[in-house]
Amino acid sequence: MRDIAFGQYYPVSSPVHRLDPRLKIIFTLMYIVTMFFVASYFGYALVLCFLLTVCAVAHVPPKAMFKSIKGIIVLLIITAILNLFFYAGEASVEWTWWIFTVSPEAIDFALKMMFRLILLIMGTTILTFTTGTSELTDAIESLFKPLNLIKIPVRDIALIMSIALRFIPGLIEETDKIMMAQKARGADMESGNIFKKIKAMLPVIIPVFVSAFRKADELADALDARCYQASPKRTKMKKMSFAWRDLIAFLIFAAFVAIIFLDKYLWGGLDGYIVQAFQSLMG
Amino acid sequence: MTAIKLENVYYAYEADEGEKPVNAVDGVSLEVEEGSFVAVVGHNGSGKSTLARLFNGLLLPDSGSVTVFGMDTKDEKQIYSIRSSVGMVFQNPDNQMVASVVEDDIAFGPENLGLPRDEIIRRVDRALEQVGMSEYRKSTPFRMSGGQKQRLAIAGVLAIRPKVIVLDESTAMLDPKGRREVMDVIHALNKEEKMTVIHITHYMEEVQEAERVIVMDGGKIAVDDTPRAVFARGEQLKKYKISPPAVTLMADALADCGADIARDIATEEELEDAICRLLCKD
Ligand SMILES: Nc1ncnc2c1ncn2[C@@H]1O[C@H](COP(=O)(O)OP(=O)(O)O)[C@@H](O)[C@H]1O
Ligand SMILES: [Mg+2]
Repeated sequence: MRDIAFGQYYPVSSPVHRLDPRLKIIFTLMYIVTMFFVASYFGYALVLCFLLTVCAVAHVPPKAMFKSIKGIIVLLIITAILNLFFYAGEASVEWTWWIFTVSPEAIDFALKMMFRLILLIMGTTILTFTTGTSELTDAIESLFKPLNLIKIPVRDIALIMSIALRFIPGLIEETDKIMMAQKARGADMESGNIFKKIKAMLPVIIPVFVSAFRKADELADALDARCYQASPKRTKMKKMSFAWRDLIAFLIFAAFVAIIFLDKYLWGGLDGYIVQAFQSLMG
Repeated sequence: MTAIKLENVYYAYEADEGEKPVNAVDGVSLEVEEGSFVAVVGHNGSGKSTLARLFNGLLLPDSGSVTVFGMDTKDEKQIYSIRSSVGMVFQNPDNQMVASVVEDDIAFGPENLGLPRDEIIRRVDRALEQVGMSEYRKSTPFRMSGGQKQRLAIAGVLAIRPKVIVLDESTAMLDPKGRREVMDVIHALNKEEKMTVIHITHYMEEVQEAERVIVMDGGKIAVDDTPRAVFARGEQLKKYKISPPAVTLMADALADCGADIARDIATEEELEDAICRLLCKD
């Protein structure tokens, strides 16, 4: 395996791994929502510290977490550029060069947006680092059990999602391999405009799809051969139960969320104070 | 006792529009004895995989019947007893795993059967032991070798406690070491647990280790005999696109040159003995 850390599981034993997977899913959802309320650089620094602490407790190398953003680097750069030059808010000063106009507010906005995206990805990968796909399936099934009442096959959907997660790294690897094979045959994937590039990707995308369908066929047979849906009441090897550990984790997480909200609504972004303090220090 | 019995079985996949469906399995009758080790060979498209999928009801015959320990695969009520009696391992181990943690993956089958928790745990323990992978219980198959992954796939099947295990080219993607690992596991299952093994393969060394060989050709059984007798046919096997192991070919070539040597030699030791005997006689 190379750079793709997304969707991978780190098989170690840690308090984070042992948390109730349902709670971890709820934390992840709450984390995603909270990220949209981070108001200051202090807030982003706090989130980063929080993630690094979780990594340490989970025995997951922080490097793995940082690697997970490699896949979205292009997206990051594009959004940063767009935010920088198409910033629509008010600006104190404007620096103009040719057709480009940049202001300190635009830079601030673009930076914050980028941090938000990076931290979103890094935070959500912690869920897959510390939770096996089968645990995820069980947890999703348990959380969405009420939907069974309106005849939604929650179990099947949960299984589909977790299998999809398990297959992502393999498919990315496959894409890479095919890309290399096409390059070895002289395919040019780097030069030309965006349309040329998309066209050059076709001989890669089609084999990947064919291979994905072939995989899906064999997987479907393998599921059936292992008696999928044999019993209307499927049992589980692992019990999910709420423990003390989970309560403590919940309190810590709640404190983290509280600070982010305090920072936004009460302190109005700590950055201002920090800058002021710094300025008064300098005289 | 007969484990699997096929009577005059036909099966055709749906053809594209305007084309006539071709029988992928074309009138096969066959009995597999419980506890036996059967190898199935034949060129690509000869119907081996189709045959395998008929054994556990993944496919149902168009005509004729498939019976597994007395149960007809067409009987919907018994399909899950049939599938838990005939376990199936496929070619690519990566496409058979549903979970990212070893023990979770192996528990998938027993969970589907709705077994109680402690029984599931017992079966996962036992299955891992049978394939010699107990220490990997909590790891993830992601970085394992092909042989290890395929052994885990076998463990996942063993956890449903089948009486028959069908391997559809399960050694085809492995390196020689991985192949040996898998072969050792299935031989142990056959000898120690009296499990019936049906092994589809292209490797003649693996065929030699079986008790019986079925050669498929055009959806029909072309030859059904012991490996020794099959390989003794030498050149005749060419039309099924299979070739005997190197030692047998060598004995064959020597016999052609007029040497007094048996044509059904199957192992290196036998060839060595035969050649020594020839040299001593002179
Ligand atoms: N899913 C399918 N749809 C249509 N035809 C198929 C399908 N699978 C196999 N066949 C055809 O059935 C025949 C037997 O294939 P198969 O049983 O896979 O042979 P083998 O495993 O010996 O290579 C081949 O002619 C193949 O093209
Ligand atoms: Mg096949």
